[in-house]
Amino acid sequence: MHRWFVAGALAAASIVPATAVGEEPAQDVRTKGQEQERRQLEEQIAKELGQGAAATAPEPAAASAQPAAQAGTGGLGPLARLVLLPDISAIGSFAGVYDSWDAGRLSPRSGPTGPAGKPAFLFQELELGLQSVVDPYVRADVFVSFGRDGSASVEEAYATTLGLPAGLQLRAGTFFTPIGRVNSTHPHTWDFLDAPLAHDRIVSGDKLAGPGVDASWLAPLPWFAEVHLVAQSTAPFEGDPERLTGTARVSQLFALSDAATAGVGLTATRRDEGTGAFRDVAAVDLFAKYRPPAGRAYLTLQGELYARRFRGAGPADTGDGWGAYAQLFWRQGAWLGYGVRWDRAPAADPLAPASLAGGVERRWSAVGDWFATEFQRLGLQIGWDRRPDGADGWEALLHYEFIIGAHGAHPF
Amino acid sequence: MRHLFAVLLLAAVAPSPARAALHVVTTTEGLAALAREVAGDGASVESLSRGTQDPHFVDANPILALKLRGADLLVDVGLDLEIGWLPPLVTQSRNARIQPGGPGRLTAASAVTVLDVPTGPVDRSVGDLHPAGNPHFLADPRRAVRVAGAIAERLAALDPGGAAAYRGRAAAFAKRMDAALARWGAALAPLKGRAVFTHHRTLVYFLDWAGLRSDGEMEPRPGTPPPPAHLADLVQRAKRDGVRACLVEGYYDPRSDALVARLSGAKLVVLPGDVGGDPAASGYERWIDLLVGRVAEALR
Repeated sequence: MHRWFVAGALAAASIVPATAVGEEPAQDVRTKGQEQERRQLEEQIAKELGQGAAATAPEPAAASAQPAAQAGTGGLGPLARLVLLPDISAIGSFAGVYDSWDAGRLSPRSGPTGPAGKPAFLFQELELGLQSVVDPYVRADVFVSFGRDGSASVEEAYATTLGLPAGLQLRAGTFFTPIGRVNSTHPHTWDFLDAPLAHDRIVSGDKLAGPGVDASWLAPLPWFAEVHLVAQSTAPFEGDPERLTGTARVSQLFALSDAATAGVGLTATRRDEGTGAFRDVAAVDLFAKYRPPAGRAYLTLQGELYARRFRGAGPADTGDGWGAYAQLFWRQGAWLGYGVRWDRAPAADPLAPASLAGGVERRWSAVGDWFATEFQRLGLQIGWDRRPDGADGWEALLHYEFIIGAHGAHPF
Repeated sequence: MRHLFAVLLLAAVAPSPARAALHVVTTTEGLAALAREVAGDGASVESLSRGTQDPHFVDANPILALKLRGADLLVDVGLDLEIGWLPPLVTQSRNARIQPGGPGRLTAASAVTVLDVPTGPVDRSVGDLHPAGNPHFLADPRRAVRVAGAIAERLAALDPGGAAAYRGRAAAFAKRMDAALARWGAALAPLKGRAVFTHHRTLVYFLDWAGLRSDGEMEPRPGTPPPPAHLADLVQRAKRDGVRACLVEGYYDPRSDALVARLSGAKLVVLPGDVGGDPAASGYERWIDLLVGRVAEALR
């Protein structure tokens, strides 16, 4: 794995814009002897830091701009923000994928898949974010997604109150339904490179989302306890009509120490299916994180269980089922992260991928991430699936992601 | 379930236990130390981060929003130091007072003169820099006195009855700092102009005040890991320019600093990054004592 990261580093280094050693003086002209000495030093340092040959490290070029040690006249300088513009960011993600089987038919999922036995490159998404306060009472967050087929859609656009009394907060607009951790967060904040199968099969083929209102309450308790009551119109799978969906969620987080946090969330969702039928989804999510304060390394353990039941839908109740995943992720420090994940989900029907076939599909995945900086991520995920009929296949997913523009919040 | 709702309802309507008149929350321990200096018994003060933490990379743990929900005053550093974690916590707190521009929000950077304001095009080709200037100004005691004064003024506005006491304590702190500045100045005077390396540009204000000179950072650009070629350059530069110390805060991985120090003959100096960053750095004055003491000892 380490070798792979060195190779990844090399590849990424070639696309990182060549930039600067800040304080390299212009008059730093070296003699041949000094240059040779420097090269030997570089090799020794690379060896001691365990970075392989010194030649693998990118050589910074001359600076185009520097934080000059000059005094400003005020604490909030003229470059702090362009007046009245919202924070603007763009997150691009691309993938190279190899599937040993016809994953799109045998194991459909929201993450990228390729043709059986042939590598493929995919543009996954470009997410444009616009975020700002509207006035002293409300802030707005807008995320527009440009997808694989070139289409643009409003992924989320909502306004959030900032100061209602008694711990209340209202969110109105279109947003991800707050079911567990995966459905309510954007893919670039996930430790893994795709959503768990259980989420895709039970909750939604992409993201359960839609226009509506979310009323939440931060309970006045010594631990973090937040209650959400949500009414939305949602369409869980492509082609579904939008229908009224009600969600209730309680999420709690407990500080076990300065370094350890544990959390549990419970969600219940009911969606009107028309003609007196309902789709009920229940979810439990568990989360634990250990991060000593004096460092960037952390360990997270995360799992979710989803169950779905159709009521009053007549003999076609074949969508009932449950699925779960559990994952462990170790962020080694600022630059590297590794994780393993186990998935259990109802198998899809190969003849009608949006339907369930009966039986259970299992999947094991391992991921390795290299963060060149806070604004780039190169990840490799290897997954192996086994269907209930004995068919199996493996997948290699190479993912690259960049972030430009305003600095977003770090995921928790 | 009925009992749980009853408990929640009681918790919502029950009066809070007795507490100081004002509740001040700061983003860093350094700011908390200054707030305690001027607030005295007039306010309870707590920090969101620990002194051992890198203030750029505090987790946006929703549990921290609990500290903010009842805050009368939030003091942040500003200059985008906390941009990766504070904004979602402030939104989650549902506390209108501490929203940006609110009466209970004080951004300490507004009280000081800022260094390292970038010139030329500002983008991340020059690293993860702070576009409005360097936010690590609390390591300069002169600026800390200004911040303490600003906190006192804001507390006075929030609690007019205690205004005289807040201003009095701020003045007393400034007087104590005057004496300490003389002491620290005497220790640093013989070292004026000496060159050091730092890990990140966290000590720009400290060096400016101490009369020392940075000859480079381990990070070739802010937020980027040091490649061997850059470290080799630093080793040669250290030998050429007589750099005697590599200064690194306790929350950074010191391997690069240690290596450059060893290969160049400089001393590795591990410093507390903030008040509380070392058991001995128990207050603002003690923190600066430690910075001055360790740097002076290495450069002597």
